[in-house]
Amino acid sequence: MIKLHRIVLLALLVSQAMVLSFIETFIPNPVPIPGFKLGLANIVTMLVIFFFGFGDAVLVVVVRCALSAILFGGPVVFIFSLAGGILSTVVMSVLYYRMREMLSIIGISMAGAVAHNAGQLVAAVVLMGTLSVFSYLPVLLIAGLVTGFITGVCSRQLSKAFQKWRRSEGQNREK
Amino acid sequence: MSILKKGDLLLAAAIALIALAVSWSFKVFGNGDTARIAVIKQKGRVIRRIDLDRVTGSETFELKGDYPQLIQVEKGRIRVAEAGCPDQVCVETGWLTKRGDAAVCVPNGTIIEIEGEKSEVDDATY
Repeated sequence: MIKLHRIVLLALLVSQAMVLSFIETFIPNPVPIPGFKLGLANIVTMLVIFFFGFGDAVLVVVVRCALSAILFGGPVVFIFSLAGGILSTVVMSVLYYRMREMLSIIGISMAGAVAHNAGQLVAAVVLMGTLSVFSYLPVLLIAGLVTGFITGVCSRQLSKAFQKWRRSEGQNREK
Repeated sequence: MSILKKGDLLLAAAIALIALAVSWSFKVFGNGDTARIAVIKQKGRVIRRIDLDRVTGSETFELKGDYPQLIQVEKGRIRVAEAGCPDQVCVETGWLTKRGDAAVCVPNGTIIEIEGEKSEVDDATY
């Protein structure tokens, strides 16, 4: 993939992730837990890990968090989403590159969602200076398993489609 | 299931186990934020605050007013044992044990509510 091509694709994926997080705000929260989110943007992060690599995934996450913070949130939102995003990217990358035989995309997604929640919790502990928020950890871990499963199913379908597209695109270029 | 590999299930089980262990350890060791304080208010004024976890034995006392109420406190719980009011709503509420539990008596203007020492985590965790 040539450099420009890569940049355009990554930029598209960043905007896609942002649209997904925006759409997510319209889905009513079924459980009254602060911080409970589906994490649809994780679908994009996974796709970038699978098809572009760890470095690009970190890049996409950082740009997405920065843009969201500038447009919708603020510095606090930025720190929270960045802590969750980076940790989940690291965990998912490690699992994808080291343990792909044992785990499916859905398993990696679940681990990523759990890591995302854990990262946000750590950010909360640091920002609020209290350990009491750790009492939310069990709920957030289980919530991560559930949301990770849902986004994992989406990632699986999407990466199948992406693979197909990449293959046909490769053939086109050879012609 | 074909879409899940064995490792997925192991991973999910491990995370669920961690969640269980953490919640269990919070129950056992406590985190300093599990205090349950019964606050008794009458006509908007706080009459008494009782730390339910420090109560030993059983104590009953009367709450005066238009319809006197008999309040009973034991370790970890509080209730209205008897009330002179016609509808007995507060008595039927039974024991209050958890934070947020409340017994209300409209005729006598009293509210018994269990609160924490400090407010719980709020929107700031977003």
